[in-house]
Amino acid sequence: MTDTAGNATTTSGDEPVTMMEYFMQLEYSDVVSAPVMRFRDALMDARLIAQQCPKCKLVYVPPKGYCPIDTVELDERNEIQLADRGVVTNYTVVTPVQYYGQKETEPFVRASILLDPPGGMLILQDVLDIPVAEVRAGMRVEAVWAPKGERDVDEIGNRSGSALEGSLRGFRPTGEPDMPAEAFSDKVW
Amino acid sequence: MATAHEPCAIVGFGQTKHKKRRDDLSLPGLVREAAERALDDAGMTWSDIEAVVIGKAPDPFEGVMMPELSLADALAAVGKPMMRVHTAGSVGGSTSIVASSLIMGRRHQRVLTVAYEKQSEGNAQWGLAGGRSGGMGAGGIFAPWMRSYIRGSGAPEHIGWKVAVKDRLNAVKNPYAHLQLPDITIEKVKESPMLWEPIHFLESCPSSDGAAAMVLTDEEGGRAASKPPAWVLGTAMRSELGSFPGRDTVRPQAGVECAEMLYKEVGITNPREQIDVAELYVPFSWYEPMWLEGHDIAGPGEGWKMVDSGETEITGSFPVNPSGGVLSSNPIGASGMLRFGEAAQQVRGQAGEHQVPGAKVALAQAYGGAAQYFAMWVVSSELQPSLS
Repeated sequence: MTDTAGNATTTSGDEPVTMMEYFMQLEYSDVVSAPVMRFRDALMDARLIAQQCPKCKLVYVPPKGYCPIDTVELDERNEIQLADRGVVTNYTVVTPVQYYGQKETEPFVRASILLDPPGGMLILQDVLDIPVAEVRAGMRVEAVWAPKGERDVDEIGNRSGSALEGSLRGFRPTGEPDMPAEAFSDKVW
Repeated sequence: MATAHEPCAIVGFGQTKHKKRRDDLSLPGLVREAAERALDDAGMTWSDIEAVVIGKAPDPFEGVMMPELSLADALAAVGKPMMRVHTAGSVGGSTSIVASSLIMGRRHQRVLTVAYEKQSEGNAQWGLAGGRSGGMGAGGIFAPWMRSYIRGSGAPEHIGWKVAVKDRLNAVKNPYAHLQLPDITIEKVKESPMLWEPIHFLESCPSSDGAAAMVLTDEEGGRAASKPPAWVLGTAMRSELGSFPGRDTVRPQAGVECAEMLYKEVGITNPREQIDVAELYVPFSWYEPMWLEGHDIAGPGEGWKMVDSGETEITGSFPVNPSGGVLSSNPIGASGMLRFGEAAQQVRGQAGEHQVPGAKVALAQAYGGAAQYFAMWVVSSELQPSLS
């Protein structure tokens, strides 16, 4: 056998070996920032907290410790409690690619949720208890928290963003009437 | 146009045949194939090159960290200045711009720039997911934004299918393009599996192995070149945070300002009239109308109408991606440079079968990250064209 460049590649099998997968492991520890530690503690308590910039009033969830727009440092004094209900402002249905470590096998939803006042956006959230084809923008949803003994925030670091599934499994429809989707077209991310 | 800087000319362009798997080539072989073709096109040899600027998408995509070090030998860069550029998917564009700045700043007279990706040697979805489950790929991130565009602009759903067909039929005219789908139809796009609602399989870019390269030189070199050069009339790069509350993801501010800055530098007041052809970074079909609007080529809600009326076809009044674009070949790191190089080929009259007749002024654009990094340039067959 030869490969496409004309080199001999004969092996004991019938097919030439052109690629070998090699997995490596790299372990490192991430020092979790104080605002994220407080965010994790709140999640263990089935609560969502955020920081609100005193200048632009934007709500950062998870809290960042600063507002990158105004370059203002934020701390506990800027902390606010968030609602754990809201509205789906946008979503997609993802057909999972089977890369190494992928556990999803069926199409799944990732939705952007605008939380009820005082607000705050959670992106890339799962929507539970409803067929994926029925998820829609404008749908009212509420948080599905993991049972107390099962909550786990170990995976949440400084760059985890909205990946909270160890404690907040996702959101499920509340059954309330939909809100007009057009009202949220600028709240997708 | 008064310029304080040295004019920059593109005198050589080369690219690999893009494929799902170039297992006939190693990484060094891949970049060398493109670089040798660019040097041949420029009528130069390795020893003519003073500096090398290289770019690629994030290192986890192949799992080779800081590959600019191990590739220095293959690019004859040992003992020469070599620089790596890193701006996610827009990197091929920003790498080209960095290379041009070395000429414009009179630091060097002949610069080789190369960009590549060998997607078959890694897994981009794994890389983007950081090894975690539930990774969505770039399409999953962009899909809701396309839905937002559709909802806001009132575009009919066939617009996405139409772009997918146009770019693939253009790719049939480009022997280097990865996907060769001469039989593609609107019907086939529509019936193809849904990957990230609303994006069908055939509305999405492929995973490709490939590289692109250019040779850039100064005014003297451009005037002495054996083939017609492409003159860089202006460049712009802008970026913004990938995520902050209230971010306009459909029409990112950095993209708007990048275009504004570029048009101002070049003296473009009406891009739709003054630009003859554009190579825009369209990895998913809906990004064609989104960037037409996002870079103020079309007014709000008008981009999809340009697609619908056929204006962005090779034969239209504003051809977009005559090469087949990212939808037909996506060696990620190289994809931006392919846009920048194909724009140059158009104004050099060297684009072959996908040449837009008489193209004098061409726009190239690349974007990356969460649509947060932008790189653009305008090239022309003339150093001081009249932009009427």
